[in-house]
Amino acid sequence: MVRFKHRYLLCELVSDDPRCRLSLDDRVLSSLVRDTIARMHGTFGAAACSIGFAVRYLNAYTGIVLLRCRKEFYQLVWSALPFITYLENKGHRYPCFFNTLHVGVETFHKLLTTITHMPGTIRTCQKFLIQYNRKQLLILLQNCTDEGEREAIQKSVTRSCLLEEEEESSEEAAETME
Amino acid sequence: MPAPAATYERVVYKNPSEHHYMKVCLEFQDCGVGLNAAQFKQLLISAVKDLFGEVDAALPLDILCYEEKTLSAILRICSSGLVKLWSSLTLLGSYKGKKCAFRVIQVSPFLLALSGNSRELVLD
Repeated sequence: MVRFKHRYLLCELVSDDPRCRLSLDDRVLSSLVRDTIARMHGTFGAAACSIGFAVRYLNAYTGIVLLRCRKEFYQLVWSALPFITYLENKGHRYPCFFNTLHVGVETFHKLLTTITHMPGTIRTCQKFLIQYNRKQLLILLQNCTDEGEREAIQKSVTRSCLLEEEEESSEEAAETME
Repeated sequence: MPAPAATYERVVYKNPSEHHYMKVCLEFQDCGVGLNAAQFKQLLISAVKDLFGEVDAALPLDILCYEEKTLSAILRICSSGLVKLWSSLTLLGSYKGKKCAFRVIQVSPFLLALSGNSRELVLD
């Protein structure tokens, strides 16, 4: 069909400074990415990438970012991300870097609501993100030393495992229905 | 008697040359502006950087010969960057506040072709 096709880039913002993630805002991030593309790919790149560009999801606590761009120019955006070296907010500059985790292909264009109600859209990105977050929780569990923290993380791990089982059973039910 | 079947051989030559050569000339609106070879190269690189960014400003571009009096030069660029260089030369409008324009006289994948230009032939 004739429509605009997009690519979704799932990235993680890594920084030493804890204040960097908290000052993350979608407008700040969007202007930062656009400036970097303009620097790396010039006027042509800035114009080409900014048409379909949007920050679709942003999590300030984990630093996970989901960017959307047009299919024809996603490589320009992707290649400009490693050149982002600092985040500037209200005059403070925090060194950071972007780690691209996954590139997703969309099939339909709808907003994401909850896991069970997504009819196969940005589903690959979402699934990957859930698995990645689970793995990160397990890594945090190994690394943490304080008892209170350990209990809190264990609780969230068991909760996410329960959710995983529920989600799988609901997916199977949906498939059998079809 | 039926005519004998014609035999032919088709040779396709895909140009594998890595570089393209351009003969260009820089024209200023006012007279009396001079550039040396280094300033000329800096102008070319800044034109590409404006339009295509730092990634394409690093394309291997060479000035093979440069004449300061006529401000004309022969450039060599890798073939993948020809379109980018030519479009950035087209869109370059000024140097240090003075209006100028690039005139592209000849483009060829072979350097030898730039030595003779049939447009400059004069009929008796």
